This record gives sequence, C-alpha cells and structure tokens, in this order.
Amino acid sequence: MLGQPDPTNFCFRKPSHSIRLRQTPSHPPPAFSRSLFGRRDARVRRLAGIAVPRMAANFWASSHCKQLLDNPEDADLVPAADRERGITPEEFRLVKIHMSFHIWRLAQAVKVRQRVIATAVTYFRRVYTRKSMSEYDPRLVAPTCLYLASKVEESTVQARLLVFYIKKMCGTGSDDKYRFEIKDILEMEMKLLEALDYYLVVFHPYRPLLQLLQDAGITDLTQFAWGLVNDTYKMDLILIYAPYMIALACIYIASVLKDKDTTSWFEELRVDMNIVKNISMEILDFYDTYKIDPQRGLPEDKISPVLNKLPAKS
Amino acid sequence: MASGGGDDDTGGKLLVNRYLKGEQLGEGTYGIVNKAIDTKTGNTVAIKRIRIGEKKEGVNFTALREIKLLKELKDPNIIELIDCFPYKENLHLVFEFMDTDLEAVIKDKRIVLSPADTKSYAQMMLKGLAFCHKKWVLHRDMKPNNLLIGADGQLKLADFGLARMFGSPGRNFTHQVFARWYRAPELLFGSKQYGSAVDIWAAGCIFAELLTRRPFAQGSSDIDQLGKIFAALGTPKSSQWPDMAYLPDYVEYQYVAAPPLRTLFPLASDDALDLLSKMLTYDPKARITAQQALEHRYFSSLPAPTIPSQLPRPRRKGDSGNNKIPDLNLQDGPVVLSPPRKLRRVTAHEGMEGNMHRADKVDEHPSGTRHTDDMSSQSSRIPMSVDVGAVFGTRPAPRPTLNSADKSHLKRKLDMDPEFGFGE
Repeated sequence: MLGQPDPTNFCFRKPSHSIRLRQTPSHPPPAFSRSLFGRRDARVRRLAGIAVPRMAANFWASSHCKQLLDNPEDADLVPAADRERGITPEEFRLVKIHMSFHIWRLAQAVKVRQRVIATAVTYFRRVYTRKSMSEYDPRLVAPTCLYLASKVEESTVQARLLVFYIKKMCGTGSDDKYRFEIKDILEMEMKLLEALDYYLVVFHPYRPLLQLLQDAGITDLTQFAWGLVNDTYKMDLILIYAPYMIALACIYIASVLKDKDTTSWFEELRVDMNIVKNISMEILDFYDTYKIDPQRGLPEDKISPVLNKLPAKS
Repeated sequence: MASGGGDDDTGGKLLVNRYLKGEQLGEGTYGIVNKAIDTKTGNTVAIKRIRIGEKKEGVNFTALREIKLLKELKDPNIIELIDCFPYKENLHLVFEFMDTDLEAVIKDKRIVLSPADTKSYAQMMLKGLAFCHKKWVLHRDMKPNNLLIGADGQLKLADFGLARMFGSPGRNFTHQVFARWYRAPELLFGSKQYGSAVDIWAAGCIFAELLTRRPFAQGSSDIDQLGKIFAALGTPKSSQWPDMAYLPDYVEYQYVAAPPLRTLFPLASDDALDLLSKMLTYDPKARITAQQALEHRYFSSLPAPTIPSQLPRPRRKGDSGNNKIPDLNLQDGPVVLSPPRKLRRVTAHEGMEGNMHRADKVDEHPSGTRHTDDMSSQSSRIPMSVDVGAVFGTRPAPRPTLNSADKSHLKRKLDMDPEFGFGE
C-alpha cells in the first residue's frame, strides 16, 4: 500500500477516453513480444526458470481478454435495481472501493498470497458489471469472492476461518450486517460462479511487472510500482485493460516520480503510449479524488448511508 | 446438502429447460454422472452432478479446477465442457458424451491395432497435449483411461482434476501426480519444479503401451518404478541427465546398460522408435515437446494415421457397460471379471492414496475414493500381461496411483512458495 503520489510532476494532459484503444487478439503486440522475449530472450527465460513467462503467449486467447469491457464507462453503470434504490454512480464506486478494502483486510487476516486478493477483487468487480448490489449483497459477495479466489488460486482458505475473522473484524461494533454464516458463503459461492459465467482464470499485472522492471533494468522501483499495482484494484482497470498495460502504466508513474529516464525503453517496446498514459492518468486521478487512508480505507460515515440503501439481509 | 437431491437420479426429467435426463452412468470422483439429451442441440451429453462437500467446503476443489481450466481450453482433442448450471443446490457440469476410452481399446484383445491406428491415437493425444501446453496447462494425469474416445473416433484429453497452470517462476508443485506407471523419472526423484515434460513422459508411456498393448513399466513402488524404467531404458548417466543427482529424492541405482529399444518393441517402425526414445528421454530439458513430437517424421511418413472415424471400436458391454464419460470411473462397474483378491487389495489400499493424490490440501477431500473406482474398472478387464511377482503372491501389482505419503509431509510440500510474497 502506498500513500498518494504527487501528481504535479506530470505535464501531460488528461486524454479523453476516446483515444483509448484496447489491443485485441487480432492486434497482438509483436513489437512488445520481440523486445521482451526476443533480444533479451535468454535473460527472461533464465528469470523464469523452467518456463517462459506465461502472459504473452496466453493472455490474448484467454477468457479474461475476451471479457474485457469495450467501454470503460460500463464499469460505472449502476444496475437498474440499485438505481431504483437511489444509488448514484459515485456511491456505486465508493462501495466497490470500500469492499476492495474489506477483501484486503480479510485476506491479511487469513494470510493469502497477493494474487488471491487480486483475483478476489477482480471477481467482485466483474459481478457488479452484471448483477445489482440490491440482489447480491456486497458484504456477502466480498468474502465469498475471497473464498472462491483462494480455491481457484490453489491456496484454499476454509470458509469457517473466513467467518471467524469476519466476526472478529466486524463483530464489535453495530456492524452485524457484515456478519454471515458458513452456509451463506457457500450458497453465495454457487450464485457467484453463475454470475461469473464460470470463467475463473484471471491475469494480473504482477508477473509482467516484475519481468518488465527487470527488462528495463529498474528493479529498484519494484516496491513502489508493486504498491501502485495493488492500488489499481481499488479501481476497475483490471476489467478494462490488458494486465501488462496496467503494469506498464505503473512503471511509467513510478519512473516519472522517481526520476528514472525510461523514454527510450518505452519507445523500444512500441506499445501504444496513449493507453499507457491514459491508465496512468486514471490512477493519478483516483489518488487525487479519493485521498484514501491506505490503512483504514474509506471513512464509515461515507459508506454506511450508501449501504443502508440496500435491502436488509434476510 | 449432498444427499439433498437423491430423488432426481431416476431420469426422464428436463433440467433447466434444456437437458433431458437419462440413465445414471455411474458415480465419479465427486458426483453422480447421468446421460442426457441436450434438447438445444439434440446431442447426447454427460451431466456430472457435483456433490457439495460434507465438510462444508463448498464446491468441490477438484471440480473447480476442472471448470476453471476447461473453460479456457477449447480444442477438438480436449473434452468439451458444454455448460454449467446450479440445480437443487447442486452444481451440474455438462460434458460432451464419450463412448469409450483408450484403455478399453488397448485392453480389448479382439482389436488389432494397425501401425496407422496407433499413429492416429498418438497424434490425437499429442495434439490435445500440445494445445494444453500452449495454454500453459499441465494435465498431470495422463493415462489411457483419461483419454476418452467419442462416437466419431476422436480422442480427447479428459479429467483435468489434477491439472494446473504453470509458468510461475520457481513455484513449487507437488510431485505426487500421475498414476505411478506414467510418472516421469524426475517426479519419481521428487522434483517439485517441473514443466510440460512430465506430460510428455506419460504420453511416451501411453505410446509404448499402444505399441505393445501392455503398460510400459509397471512398478509397485516408486523405487520399483524407477528400477523398471532403468531396466528398459538403461540407468541414466550424469552426462545424459546432469541435474538428476540434485533432485530431492535421488538415489543411486546400479548401472544397467540400455538394451536396444528394438528388443522391447520388435514390431514398431524405426520412426516410431525414434519418436518414442525422444519422448522417453531422461533429462526433462532434452525431452521432446508435444509440438516437436507432432512435427516428427513419424507423423509424416507412411502409413498415414487412420481417420478417426475408421479406428477400431472396443466391443460394448451392454448399453452403458463399457461407455466412458468424462472423468467417470465406474464404481459399480457392470462386470467384474478379475478374482476378488485383486479387488480387495485395490479398495482397501488405493482408495486412500487416490484421495491423497487428488488433494492439494488433504482434508478437503473427505470422501475422495476416486482411484478405488478407477481400480475396479481396471480390474474388470482381463489383464494383458502377467506380472510374475503378483501371480506368485510375492508382490502386489495393482494399477497404482500414488505412493503413500505422510499427510503432513505432503501438505508441507504443496503450494508453499511466496511467489507474490512481497507487497503483501
């Protein structure tokens, strides 16, 4: 987690969404592949041990790639059922941020890998591009996403352990709306699978991030860039952009903030810098807008009124 | 919850307005399998009903793996997961229906496999495998009865319950994968960082099995398995396999020179033997890849592989007797021909191991008796070769699935690396 970077170092304009071009399988990044796996092939291979990095070969044909939203605004569309209850796009977004924190804190209690958290948050955000919060209570969906992600990523957390920590974390206050039983989680797991259309494999920026930092020879930025990637899960970027583009945006921000000249390296990659800069701007906008306390998340008085608009749990 | 829907095994019912449920085909690893008609397409399908774990652990872990990977893997030589749906609190998986499997073909003594037939099976197997590997998926349970054969003769890789994605640098995997007879030497020596070469070894064993109609090396323990492999292919020298001595469970074997491969496979063509020797190369780094194997001259030389629809079919034992559907290991197999001694040994002994073998966290699989089923279906067919040790009662020779491992030991080995440790 990291504090708020200073956006004043940036001199580029905020571009409009219209120039954002998502690369599709029909338009793979040949230059990128060549640079990463061609010239420095031996090094990358060595880095990867027995296997070459999976991302480049695999992402373009994955269900994750096919499910990327064509229109970034789609992630902010409030489902009809929630609109009827008076939830605004801003509130919708707040709940998603808040619940990302909730998943995060829960994950730290049960001690799972970073990847599991990232997958859980991705599931959570995907669900609400299709389902309403009125029907799928985010307070139950969040821990269930973590539960499902832990299984999918092969580091299972028992449901009873999750229930235990939810009670421990939320049990003291008046917050019994966060409390659920094992059977609630298991029931929601089935509904979740259906809501996700059973597509469970998710790609993340972490691995490309490490490879790209290595390739650029700026591994001293790893910690900082890693923190930036973590923070991208407070947003819907993972539903919109290819993971390696998110990784590049984080490297871009990190290198500008830490005064590393990566211009020629980026040029050599020959990726669409408009997209990289777009993502970077969105990230910085996010820091600027929400000024979230990285430890505590959003203040309760901002969230409770929104959650109170949702139907009480049955 | 698990026994909740006991009434819907009767058949004749329309599920989710689409599937007309037919006879029960058997009980698989994690649920009951029914034949059904997909009214949307008119195709016959197999519907697997996933039991929800009794230990309150939700959707079965193995089933989840299968869903996760098969949703990404769409290929003519990989079993198709057509649909998933919840019904009566149970998750149902819909697979394409498959008539039989390669094991039934190999074991059916009436079938004569021509060199072209063998080539066809080997090619389809390698095509499926090449696709998996391209998608960075390791199958990890290649064996003849996981290679299903459809009505059109197409061979498809099935049972992805042990499969997983690879490519994470330095990530440790368990070496307790594959049925022992198909386990690569690096796994038998305890390697935890392995790649697609393990599937190729197993494919090589299956290829050899197609050529001789009996399992290539039938070890009764990991040590014995290695001994059998070395007896057939010679004890590997360090020049042949430099990393061997550094593997966790490496033990030195007495040196045996390799007999000419020709003596083991008197009827195989030179091309077939050349490909086989490349698939059964000791050093996993030097072992041929699935894609390279497909480009081997064996597949371009004469005779051309038989068209799948013209491949010989094993005789059916009744309507459903010999039918195979994805991952179905018949528990109540129709006819058990083998002596009861064999069955008893199998159920008492291998069930537990099968359980271990499926588990990434052992206690998640309270009732996984997968390989018990597996074994009984195995022994329902007459064995092709006689294991002398078993006949004289000195040594059992069941189709083994996993060597027994101490639970905590196994647990410790699984998935413990801090790949994404920092930043947490």
